[in-house]
Amino acid sequence: MKGFSVLLHKEWREQVRNFKLLWIPLVFIIFGIIEPVTNHFLPQIMKSVGNMPDGMDFPWPEFAPKEILVSLMGQYQSIGLLIIVLAFMGAISSERKNGTATLLYVRPISYASYFLSKWTMINILVLASVWVGFLAGWYYTAQLFGSIPAADVFAFLAAYSLWIIFVVSIVLALSAWLPTGGVAALGLFLTLIMAILDSVIGAYWTVTPWKISTYASYILMGSMDYPTFWKAAGLTVFLIILLVLFGSYMSGRNAAKTTV
Amino acid sequence: MNVLLEATGLSKRYGEQKAVDAVSFTLDAFTATALIGPNGAGKTTTLSMLAGLVTQTEGSISFEGSADQEIRSHIGFLPQYPKFFPWLSAIEFTEMAAKLSGLGAREARAEAQKTLEFVGLGKALNKRTGTFSGGMKQRLGLAQAIVHKPKLLLLDEPVSALDPVGRRQIMNLLKELQHQTTILYSTHILNDAEEMTDQLLFMQHGKLIEQGSLNEFRQRYAEPKIRIEFEGAEETQRFEQASPWKVELAGAIGWIDLTGKQVSMSDVLALLSSGRYGVRKVEKQSASLEEIFMKVVQ
Repeated sequence: MKGFSVLLHKEWREQVRNFKLLWIPLVFIIFGIIEPVTNHFLPQIMKSVGNMPDGMDFPWPEFAPKEILVSLMGQYQSIGLLIIVLAFMGAISSERKNGTATLLYVRPISYASYFLSKWTMINILVLASVWVGFLAGWYYTAQLFGSIPAADVFAFLAAYSLWIIFVVSIVLALSAWLPTGGVAALGLFLTLIMAILDSVIGAYWTVTPWKISTYASYILMGSMDYPTFWKAAGLTVFLIILLVLFGSYMSGRNAAKTTV
Repeated sequence: MNVLLEATGLSKRYGEQKAVDAVSFTLDAFTATALIGPNGAGKTTTLSMLAGLVTQTEGSISFEGSADQEIRSHIGFLPQYPKFFPWLSAIEFTEMAAKLSGLGAREARAEAQKTLEFVGLGKALNKRTGTFSGGMKQRLGLAQAIVHKPKLLLLDEPVSALDPVGRRQIMNLLKELQHQTTILYSTHILNDAEEMTDQLLFMQHGKLIEQGSLNEFRQRYAEPKIRIEFEGAEETQRFEQASPWKVELAGAIGWIDLTGKQVSMSDVLALLSSGRYGVRKVEKQSASLEEIFMKVVQ
């Protein structure tokens, strides 16, 4: 782990000075607030701008507070994942292509440190963003729809965080392996598309990382079959470890491709 | 002299193409070696292998007598176009480079500051590298390469991207470093190589085709001439008629080609004085590195 703390400091500075530390949490917070607020005020909004015939009364469904957080998770599963893939797809491949990695690779650092410093910092940033987004959503849900027990929210967040770490690991491992364009294509397929495919045709298998977000929502709703969840979580952790090992290996193997 | 680095049979193949083909050389400690060759000769690939960026397909690199050393701990590397993280300041980047090379936090800070002042960036310590000009980037590149006092400095075309003023400044800095550390630098600017070199390595088509000191090359390839500047063209013609050697004429100037001939300067001076020629200047001219280079690569 030679050079890890120095490289981690460099990653921290990068997130701060590129304003990712500001705009990524901000986007998640905005979504966190918009979801309960729009759901609460949608009937009034429709009434004033909806151009509905006089006397027509549309029966809006009554949302339970927990359903609002699940709906917010749906937003994070699409736009949130898109942001994560696009913001970090070039974390390693771009440094290689533009040549900034060269002056790091000629130092006696370990490529595991190089990869893990990025993995750690990006996970911290993304998890913090997701958490503050959900906490903002939880607060507004409590104000507008009713409270949700903290234990349920935190159990849900813990489970969902595992899925987020898996997504970050995929994006970074791909970035260590492929050029940025390839990372974008394969990264979006393995996260967004696979998550959608899993929700459509994934009834036949239960132990898969792509089910973790669904299981997180079951945990929130209190309907989770925990043995199945632990199996899926165990597999996800195992795959995360494999992705980290693969990413570290590919960082070293592709070091020669850096622009000199 | 102590051998610092020995490269034996270094080859790098990309598919069917051999970028570097069985290159062997040694670098003595505290010497400057110029790696010369036309574009595509394999200079950058050779430096990249020494810097640990590229793994050789064949051959070995021995550093201080050991092939197992982590060479990256002992080198400083400057690419032709060094790229920096634009959001870091010069001092932050240099300090990071020093720490990654093994210096402690306090020492890294002090050395970074000292080195940046040495390369002339003392007033730009806290400026973001994204705002740097080409010359400033080259200086910063040099600073990050020497901040940890490496035993071997590898420089890839250190001045070729600079204007004449920038080139002169960087060359002066490099000359200050010469004999403080071992330097291997690639260049196709032959004047620079002539200025700062103990050893020359000529590469072409991935192969090391010649190596030796500049004097050795001059002896091997030079066609030394004696240049005589007469007071007028008639004097030159008179001298040509009297001379037992072939004289090339160009107005008031005459050249005697010394290649393969047993002609000494004293013979020429004796003839000049016996004929009472009107002479302004007599000098022995040796071949420039450019002339040698052209002969080597042909």
